[in-house]
Amino acid sequence: MAAETPSWAQQAGQVSRLRGRAFEAICLASTSLALVSVMVLLLFVANDAFRPFEAEPALTFAIPVLPGLELFVVPVVLPAYLLVFGATLGLPVALTALYYYRRDDPAGEVAYATLGLPIVSLLVSAGVLVMFIEVLTVSELFATELALLVAVGAIYGHARLRPRKAVERLAIIIVAPVVALAGLPPAMFNDIVNGIAGLAGVGPVLTTRLFSVRELVLASPFLPVRWVMLLATVTLPVVAIFAPILARRRESREAGLALGGLSMIVAALGLVAAPALGVGSDVWIVVASVTVPPLAVYVEGVVRRREGMAGLAFPLVLIGGALAGWLLVQQVGFGMPDPWLDWGFLTNAHSRFSAEKTGIYPPLVGSVMMLFAIVILIFPVGVGAAIYLEEYAPSQGLAGKFVTLIEINIGNLAGVPSVVYGLLGLALFIRFLSMPVGAIIVGALAVGLLILPIVIISAQEAIRAVPDSHREASYGMGATRWQTIRDVVLPQAFPGILTGTILALGRAIGETAPLLMIGMPAIVRRAPDGFFATGSAMPRQIFRWSKEFDPLYRHGVLAAGVVTLLVVLLIMNGTAIILRNKFQREETA
Amino acid sequence: MSQERLTNQDETVSSGENSADPTSEPLVDSAIEVPGKNATSTGRTILRAQSFDVYYDDVQALQDVNIEIPEKQVTAMIGPSGCGKSTFLRSINRMNDLIDAARIEGELYFDSKDVYDEDVDPVALRRKIGMVFQHPNPFPKSIFDNVAYGLRVQDMDVDEQQVVEESLKKAALWDEVKDQLDKSALDLSGGQQQRLCIARAIAVDPEVILMDEPASALDPIATSKIEDLIDDLAEDYTVVIVTHNMQQAARISDKTAVFLTGGELVEFDDTEKIFENPEHQRVEDYITGKFG
Ligand SMILES: Nc1ncnc2c1ncn2[C@@H]1O[C@H](COP(=O)(O)OP(=O)(O)OP(=O)(O)O)[C@@H](O)[C@H]1O
Ligand SMILES: [Mg+2]
Repeated sequence: MAAETPSWAQQAGQVSRLRGRAFEAICLASTSLALVSVMVLLLFVANDAFRPFEAEPALTFAIPVLPGLELFVVPVVLPAYLLVFGATLGLPVALTALYYYRRDDPAGEVAYATLGLPIVSLLVSAGVLVMFIEVLTVSELFATELALLVAVGAIYGHARLRPRKAVERLAIIIVAPVVALAGLPPAMFNDIVNGIAGLAGVGPVLTTRLFSVRELVLASPFLPVRWVMLLATVTLPVVAIFAPILARRRESREAGLALGGLSMIVAALGLVAAPALGVGSDVWIVVASVTVPPLAVYVEGVVRRREGMAGLAFPLVLIGGALAGWLLVQQVGFGMPDPWLDWGFLTNAHSRFSAEKTGIYPPLVGSVMMLFAIVILIFPVGVGAAIYLEEYAPSQGLAGKFVTLIEINIGNLAGVPSVVYGLLGLALFIRFLSMPVGAIIVGALAVGLLILPIVIISAQEAIRAVPDSHREASYGMGATRWQTIRDVVLPQAFPGILTGTILALGRAIGETAPLLMIGMPAIVRRAPDGFFATGSAMPRQIFRWSKEFDPLYRHGVLAAGVVTLLVVLLIMNGTAIILRNKFQREETA
Repeated sequence: MSQERLTNQDETVSSGENSADPTSEPLVDSAIEVPGKNATSTGRTILRAQSFDVYYDDVQALQDVNIEIPEKQVTAMIGPSGCGKSTFLRSINRMNDLIDAARIEGELYFDSKDVYDEDVDPVALRRKIGMVFQHPNPFPKSIFDNVAYGLRVQDMDVDEQQVVEESLKKAALWDEVKDQLDKSALDLSGGQQQRLCIARAIAVDPEVILMDEPASALDPIATSKIEDLIDDLAEDYTVVIVTHNMQQAARISDKTAVFLTGGELVEFDDTEKIFENPEHQRVEDYITGKFG
């Protein structure tokens, strides 16, 4: 019948084949081990933080693992509320997801984005609100923004009027922001000079100075009412970013203006609607201004492309399901679980007496402020260093060897244990520069130095990924090196730089050792009100909870803290991944 | 062209104090006599190399090159791979400055000014001598922004819209892209991209355009479009083109330079003469395919 298999067709090299199989199996096993252990850990922590199975009434039954053997019986508790939510929320969500997966692929992505965008917006607005509550007043931000606007206006106006005066422009670029924000000379400068004069026995020598625009605005008796300032400082800038995007896409100014108007109206609506809902009108205005414009631009894009429109329904399914489930549970009177991680946990400070009343608010604010300070301090330095090393530094001769040496050492610095950075922070910033012990800024500097090498290396990689042919094209057009970097290299490298930085920040937010070294307090009752104030950070607080005697702290509160930290981390990493994907798509498109 | 423009003060310019007065230095060889029967092949010399050598570290890539390239004509450079054609081309607008290992000796005049003089800013030089590369390399920006890029970096005081349209028309691309100027240049086909690169190069109105095998990655139709284009360009610009395609060199060029292995310029003459009756046996061997 069938022809005999010729000898050349028979399996070659049985032994090496077997080896290959074994290798594959080992790789698979390690992958699954890693995944499973992380998953189990996460589930454990999440279970502790939310206690989803502890609510009355509940169905309880026992599943025998081995029939007949009484010993191996797994008790299962299924609270009633969970069943209700499963029906109203879980099932519809699963079905829609399945539908997207099977029938309408782009809709899945749209669903993901329409859900993710408001979440990110909400987090941003939470950040803005916390900033208003803890650090800045609205009028200060208003004055600062107005002053910046004046400075930018001066720079642009000059460029318009005298376009060819490069030296003048440079002077204005340097002087205008200083005058606008700090005055001339800055208040601090006067204080220092007068202080020295006082020491020398002379009276204050510098009494007159040019007040900054910011100071003038703050001193003005005609400061607008709070909600007008909020609209001007929060809503307007967001609109100024998104309205032009829409206007460009639709090629109509009206569309941009419409978006701007709509956002302003929705935000202003807060004055009437917010009190009725029982939230502050500030909260409404901030949330609306950060959420509405980006969402509107995204939804408009989806509708215009007519691709994956079904995905827009996903948030409705989700919110509707949750609402229906909640109403039903309330009506029937089923008990809900009492999660450790709830609103109270996010908004309270640590309490010595009650684990139930304990919260993570001050360290959460501290962590966010630290991140903010790290970005401001480290991003420019890291990216600047990467640009220098990639674009300017010599590669030949002795100098080139020296540069290589520096690069190798930056790589080594990335591997230095974090305690060492804590020690550096302690020695340099606190002992030598006598900065306040445990201040947010010191933590930011120590952790910032820790991630600086990572930022530099990832930025270098992103810059290196820009093809040389684009640089040559630019130079060939008569561009200078600076123009080439600004117009060709950085725009292409930017998403990569951003991704790397965000991932590095993810590392920064979880660092504990340096914070211990620089004396960050474990427990603070109030959020820090400035960067030089003492504050705590989430990992520091979590570390403290792990040492509490009361098991409620060690299990429940600790788990809630860990989940909060992880959620912040996941959101950051998710943003990085989305950015990278978007970038790659644009590259191939 | 004035000396001032070449040594133009720019962000990176070395000081141009000793930049010569344009009248103090005589134009070199204006209207040289070019041997050959082709009447069109007479022109003022715009580029002239004198005992020009290029080294990469210790390896010599060009040996004692002497050449006089006439204005507003197409000059082709042919020769086997690795003989230094690209090196010579990149030396003309000092793109080799970007390679740390590269080092030059000898003189290379553009319009009677040695481009390697201290007071010549390579950036200013490249604004006069544009370049089109072997592989199309448009920026990942819109078609419009690609063409306008040179205008912007050179801070030229012109109507962008109009210059972009004219350049695209000259590059025979306008009709294909006029409705999609906002689209990414990367969405174009390879041939279109290369024509876009040519449009980008002529938008800034250089005097010389250097092309390094501009059609090597293209199909015959796109190639012939580019050849037609080069023909038209020679009306306004001096074109120096490297090619591996003998027929192409014969079709489009007025003058041909033959480089042979070792970085020697063996023969430089009217194209017809080179292809019909070369002086050197080695050149004839190369052209007829016996060697190289
Ligand atoms: N960046 C560089 N560094 C070191 N050597 C180089 C470099 N570029 C070119 N060379 C050397 O210089 C010589 C000439 O190279 P060039 O690129 O000018 O040749 P070519 O004539 O353009 O060849 P092809 O037709 O293959 O493009 C070659 O031997 C090459 O190895
Ligand atoms: Mg070449």
